Amino acid sequence: MPHWLKPLVLPVALIVLFEAWARATDLQSDSLAPPSAIGRALIEALGSGELWIATRDTLASTLAGLLIGSAIGLMLGIALGLSSGFNRLMDVTIEAIRPIPSIALLPIALIAFGFGYRMEIVIVAFACIWPMLILSRAAIGGIEPRLLEVARLLRLTSADRVRKIVIPAALPRIFVAFRLAAGIALIVAVTCEIAINPIGLGASIMAAQQALRADLMLAYLIWIGAIGFALNAGLLLAQNSLFGRAALAEIAR
Amino acid sequence: MNRLIARLATAMLLALLLGAPQAGAQNKIQVGCTATSDCASAMIAVDEGLFKKQGLAVEMVLIGINSNIPAAILSGSVQIGGPTSTVFLQAADGGLDLVAVAGASVMGPTSNGNIAAFVRNGITIKEPKDFIGKKVGAPGLGAFLHVLFVKWLVEKGVDPKKVNFIEVTFPTQMDIIKSGGVDAVLTAEPFVTRMTNAGTGTVGARYGAELNRSEPIIFYAASRDWAEKNPETLRKFRAAIAEGATIVNETPEKAWAAIAKFTKTPIDLVRAAPPNRSDPTLKPEQLAWWIDIMASQKMLQGKLDLTKLILN
Repeated sequence: MPHWLKPLVLPVALIVLFEAWARATDLQSDSLAPPSAIGRALIEALGSGELWIATRDTLASTLAGLLIGSAIGLMLGIALGLSSGFNRLMDVTIEAIRPIPSIALLPIALIAFGFGYRMEIVIVAFACIWPMLILSRAAIGGIEPRLLEVARLLRLTSADRVRKIVIPAALPRIFVAFRLAAGIALIVAVTCEIAINPIGLGASIMAAQQALRADLMLAYLIWIGAIGFALNAGLLLAQNSLFGRAALAEIAR
Repeated sequence: MNRLIARLATAMLLALLLGAPQAGAQNKIQVGCTATSDCASAMIAVDEGLFKKQGLAVEMVLIGINSNIPAAILSGSVQIGGPTSTVFLQAADGGLDLVAVAGASVMGPTSNGNIAAFVRNGITIKEPKDFIGKKVGAPGLGAFLHVLFVKWLVEKGVDPKKVNFIEVTFPTQMDIIKSGGVDAVLTAEPFVTRMTNAGTGTVGARYGAELNRSEPIIFYAASRDWAEKNPETLRKFRAAIAEGATIVNETPEKAWAAIAKFTKTPIDLVRAAPPNRSDPTLKPEQLAWWIDIMASQKMLQGKLDLTKLILN
């Protein structure tokens, strides 16, 4: 058996088993559908413009929220990592705000921003700040002290120290944090759409469920999985091509 | 790299601008409703060009959960929404400044007959007190069907506190009843027929028909501020809704088509149940009954002023 085939055996076997079970029991459900029906619904959805519009809406919110949240998290992470005084000052505040689930902010966000991209971007950004902040702060803390000594000896300004020493040294680990935040961003965006926001793939799942189209609902679910997979694969590729062996070292660490 | 950052920033800015809600131009409004037949008068008015005839451009927004409608109205995401009576009154009681502007659907022989408490196989309900100790799934706690069922229990001399209620949304009811996760669900057509045909259980009580009420299920509501600033838009809206309501009641075929289109539900499923009766008028006494039973179920904290809740 070719080596690339092996990982596919289990999922394919499970799909075939599920199909056989659904047919044997004449599955009547509003939540489940046989894989063949899901496949047909996915093809039908791919042919209609709605899936692509929903995908655009979800991705726009995910990426905008991810970039804004990551940027804020990174800036705070660097500041906190470099200044132990600032770190001590902010510690209680950050630890008090961080545990708030971003989804719990939805009712407030709805009143403040209304339906649409803005509400979702704010919620996604809030969720992305924390992994970026914590991991980039740790990444800065883990920088070889001699590098910082060199910066002092060279009498670099604070801005130069961050630009020339701190960010390059911590970048591979910061990128790992970014990948982590990207996964969170997609989950939060879809959850936001399922709960309140009437745009994007999450809202399409809800609409399909309420229309009792379990096949279409599950087709959307699979599509979201594929998008998440592609997003992660793309970022992994970017990580390897940008950082090469340094990235591998970070993963191994 | 700098150019890339600039491009990303531009894309983000565009996304933000696109997402900004459009300032409510007088004749362009959004109406938010859930995927039920209750807002059929508005759906028909869109499909038949009744709003357009009045010079209104109306976009219908499909909202997943009814209790989100008050917040959607206040945020300006929709100018008019279709909350259930219970959601509206709880929102108003909570201090949200909403007013009812036109009637949508009312209870009647048809809609009351569609409502049922459906029990799973193995459970027999002979009289209301048989519900004591049972686990009953309601589509929303404190929502329309739940409040009605509690009212029915009280009328039949059963203490509702002795019934265990949990939340089970319509699309998941059949599977949960089948798995025995709950003993009964509070539901309506077309779910009653679907679950009966699938052999998952039987109708335990037709509590809607037994209560036999005629108060509003859902009505159109807006924020007081918006409603007072746009009397002319509201006049046009009401005129189109009145015309739409007549079509819904007289030609269900057109209503089914409009409902299927808005809710994206297969037409066969929509046709399984007649649309709830549309009634564009709204009277204070119709809300008084709801206020009474919600107050008796301790769902309201303060005292609501009926004269201020409806803007005719």
